[in-house]
Amino acid sequence: MFCLLAETSFHNLQELRHNASLANKVFIQRDYSEGTTCKFQTKFPSELESRIERTLFEDTVKTLNNYYTEAEKIGGQSYLEGCLACATAYLIFLCMETRYEKVLKKIAKYIQEQNEKIYAPRGLLITDPIERGMRVIEISIYEDRGSSGCSSGSSSVSSSTAR
Amino acid sequence: MPTSAGKRFKPTKYIPVSTAATLLVGSTTLFFVFTCPWLAKVISPLVPLYNGLVFLFVLANFSMATFMDPGVYPRADEDEDKDDDFRAPLYKNVEIKGIQVRMKWCATCHFYRPPRCSHCSVCDNCVEDFDHHCPWVNNCIGRRNYRYFFLFLLSLSVHMLGVFTFGLIFVLHHREKLGALHTTITLVVMCIAGLFFIPVMGLTGFHMVLVARGRTTNEQVTGKFRGGVNPFTKGCCGNVEYVLCSPLGPRYIFDPRKKPHIKIQPPFIRPDPSERQITIKVNDNGIHGTIISSKVSFFWNAEMADSILLIPTSTVFDFLCLDCTAESSLSGKTHPSTPAMYKFRPSFGTMPKVHYHTAGDKIVMPDDQTSQAILEEGVRGHDYRSEPNLDLPEYTNAPLHRTFKSSPFQLDSDPVNSRTLSLKQAQQRSEKGHLVGLQPKTVNSTPYKNIFSPNTLSNRNGSLSYDSLLNPSSTPPAASECLAHRGMPPVGFHSPYLPTKMCHMREPEMQRQQVAPTYSPVMSSRGVGRQSPHLRDRDSSPVRYDNLSQTIMASIQERKEMEAREKRHMLHGHSQTHIYAQDSGVFEGSGGYGLPPNPCYPDGPHCAGSRGPTPPVYGGSRDNLMGVGPSYGQRTPVLCQTGSTLGRAPRTSSGSLHTDHISSNNNHGRVSGPEGLYRSPAHHPRSPAMPRSPSYSHQKLSYMSAQERMDSPRLEAMKVNGQMDCHPSAKGVTASPNRHGNVKKVTGVGGTTYEISV
Repeated sequence: MFCLLAETSFHNLQELRHNASLANKVFIQRDYSEGTTCKFQTKFPSELESRIERTLFEDTVKTLNNYYTEAEKIGGQSYLEGCLACATAYLIFLCMETRYEKVLKKIAKYIQEQNEKIYAPRGLLITDPIERGMRVIEISIYEDRGSSGCSSGSSSVSSSTAR
Repeated sequence: MPTSAGKRFKPTKYIPVSTAATLLVGSTTLFFVFTCPWLAKVISPLVPLYNGLVFLFVLANFSMATFMDPGVYPRADEDEDKDDDFRAPLYKNVEIKGIQVRMKWCATCHFYRPPRCSHCSVCDNCVEDFDHHCPWVNNCIGRRNYRYFFLFLLSLSVHMLGVFTFGLIFVLHHREKLGALHTTITLVVMCIAGLFFIPVMGLTGFHMVLVARGRTTNEQVTGKFRGGVNPFTKGCCGNVEYVLCSPLGPRYIFDPRKKPHIKIQPPFIRPDPSERQITIKVNDNGIHGTIISSKVSFFWNAEMADSILLIPTSTVFDFLCLDCTAESSLSGKTHPSTPAMYKFRPSFGTMPKVHYHTAGDKIVMPDDQTSQAILEEGVRGHDYRSEPNLDLPEYTNAPLHRTFKSSPFQLDSDPVNSRTLSLKQAQQRSEKGHLVGLQPKTVNSTPYKNIFSPNTLSNRNGSLSYDSLLNPSSTPPAASECLAHRGMPPVGFHSPYLPTKMCHMREPEMQRQQVAPTYSPVMSSRGVGRQSPHLRDRDSSPVRYDNLSQTIMASIQERKEMEAREKRHMLHGHSQTHIYAQDSGVFEGSGGYGLPPNPCYPDGPHCAGSRGPTPPVYGGSRDNLMGVGPSYGQRTPVLCQTGSTLGRAPRTSSGSLHTDHISSNNNHGRVSGPEGLYRSPAHHPRSPAMPRSPSYSHQKLSYMSAQERMDSPRLEAMKVNGQMDCHPSAKGVTASPNRHGNVKKVTGVGGTTYEISV
């Protein structure tokens, strides 16, 4: 019983705590001014004006742009990769991940870190653009909908007791 | 091969690929079995090896072209397209390297197709860098697999060539045994190779040309760049390199299981001034009501930006733009309310933009900021604190007044400096209601700042001009004072008044520097600040308005000073300079010139006319307020205009325009003495121009036009670059009498109308 109660209270707490609801989404579009290379616009969207400092946002987007530029760079490493792939009849792709994939992993890690450190505390969440086909960076804006845990808490109580 | 979800299995679409695969593998196998042994024996064992390698290459590329995701875009979420789906135009233009490229809305995938993307009807997907749908591989050829397709074509051509050649050698050596199995099979293989040789070679050649030109099949076939320029080309070598050596593109199909879970829990951190809402009540008396028509919004969001009137005074903005958020909100969207304002992007960088609501509009501004602002700006607040004028209460009472508790005005796109200053300061100032004629940091910007004179004074960033204006000695206290003032948003934005007043004030300020004490208490506290401009070059120093009463007094004072200056002008015939610059800041809009004198006055004599309303506004206001050179606070930043109106500075609206631009140049106190003062309104460097709302000018337009016409000839003489010639002053003298008839009506910050006889 105690466990149940504890669980219930925990649920209450959870409910109370997780009371941020998705309010809006902002989409940062691609910047095609330099062709089809992957680059996002650094223009600060107005919806975020009250949520995050401009510099932080711009830093994030610029870093992402740099990552993408690095991934798409045609240089020594890409030559090597291509030759190796040809030589092995592309079997190398089965065992080794490409340069782009490596950078994408770095980007995913960076975005997660940014989310945890900067955006989530401000009620924002950046979605990795790869999920959107690298067409947009989606930033979800959450609002604090206040304490709404009571009712859910009670329901969890009832559900737990029912068990 | 990527397949769309829900597609039925259609065997027919696999026929070409099956045929191609069968032919390829089958023929080659036969070749190896029946022809190669003899070739290895007779010619060289390298022959089968070579052929084997080539065939392996063909197969690998064929497999990659067939099974690799070409770059399929996943369908867009509903969230993404909710704005676009129903009301969106079919095409969206984007500029790529200077060339307009059209992006079409894809109804299936719910997004605007990126450049070079196309929707494949067979695969029912949008594919990145869509080339074509190849039935032989039953796959789209797009960004990711184009290289493999191209290499497949190349290697197949080579392979076919090799097979045909070696088969021919075999057959030629076995002419007498054509009926033999080996020979027959070799002949068959040769026939197949020969049969497909032409199409394959043709396709290979075609794609080689495409690669060299940097085009896709889709673009070539639809004739997109026929006769035009291809924005995607990187030059022949660059294109080849791009096709062959670029890294393998990413797959856009994301595995949701890999997505990390991030917890979002309130409370959320918010950037400083951010969503505070300040309620600003704008009162407008009859005079100003008509003038100020632009909407004032003090929100720190996009809306604010839209409706923010650019006011040169940094003070206001400093106040508003406390931090980058403010800036971003505003700067990101600085839309000057009037075209004029654009021009006058504050040289000093901090031009608050304020839109004025029509009378009675309520502007909601974050409340928190007020208190916070005060706290933060405590240090600086002394300026306005000490000044009794233009306290909020006064404003609220005065119909004309626009009381803004805080003015989140943000300087036009100029980030930071002035802006950050303040919200807080603005708040404080607004409460105090004094005019802060501080000029935002730069000398040039004076006039604008003045609009918000009472509050704008504190330009945190230390508008240079203003500081200089106020504290010529640039003593720290003075500077801080100035800053403080600047920070304060003009309590009201009596924008209508401010400009005028400020203009007026400025001049008197300068002159007042010596006579600072004469001002009301406000002045005294600010006097120090005020002094500076005077001591320094006046041009750009923004004038501060202390408060209503002060303004009036100031205007009177100014008038006297202007008269004195006039005399001096006549004596010296100074060069024009930035009178406007100087003036603008200080004057409170009498009559609501809050709006900047119209930033657009670059043209000379035509300013008045061409610019449209603004210039005249100021001019008019000036005239009203100041007869000959009365420095009413009313001088609008537009100074240019005011200058003309003042009469002293013969500037017509055009003049003012010039001055606005020029004033920036004039920062360094070009204005000499009294003349400068006169000019200031007109000369006022850009700043005045900035925030003026056209509405103001509108009203005055008619009024001014006459004046301007008078002045325009004179102004023409004036250089655009802020070097106002002496004419203005001299002419101003002549002009002024016209304008300043017997009685001038001056509208104070509180909305009170004063009649001042000139």
